Amino acid sequence: MRIVIDILIVISIFFAFAGVVGMLRMPDSFCRMQSSTNIATLGVLGVIIAGVLYAAFYLHDGAMAVKLVFMGIFYIITNPIAGHAICRGGYKHGVRPTKKYEVDKYGEDMVEE
Amino acid sequence: MIMPELLFFAVCFIVLALCLLFRLIQGPSVVDRAVTADSIDILSDMALILFALYSGRSVFLDIAFITAILGFIGSTIVARYLEGRL
Repeated sequence: MRIVIDILIVISIFFAFAGVVGMLRMPDSFCRMQSSTNIATLGVLGVIIAGVLYAAFYLHDGAMAVKLVFMGIFYIITNPIAGHAICRGGYKHGVRPTKKYEVDKYGEDMVEE
Repeated sequence: MIMPELLFFAVCFIVLALCLLFRLIQGPSVVDRAVTADSIDILSDMALILFALYSGRSVFLDIAFITAILGFIGSTIVARYLEGRL
């Protein structure tokens, strides 16, 4: 069981590391936003599952495990909402991708308004 | 049984959050800074969860949960402000 917990946390650290490298190296604001969502979902899930296993099997603390489950549900629900809201707000504020893309439906709709 | 490697993993998360400070200082636009602050919030939450598991005290879990809620509310309010509806 200890090995399973360690492997889950190491997987989570790997995804968090990939997200951090993406946020430092990506050329564009929207690309960086995409790799921050990588941290928020895959980096969280491993720690949450490992924490539930550890609290249930080693600490014998049921309240801690339930609290961790609720924290996981909260992260999974709220992070896409925050990412979508801040992406739309940034686009309306005037942040544009550095490359000129072929398909930009949202920009066309904004011009028509 | 106490697993001492949980502290090592928590230090790994803290080091990743410190690497993100570079983007927080240098970020070219407002959106980068808001998203990076949210990510630093989440990484420090992970370190708090691991420390709560290590020490066996659930106070740190409460602190992590409240920090997560505050980060979500903060990024949503920044998004509404950028949209021009606040």
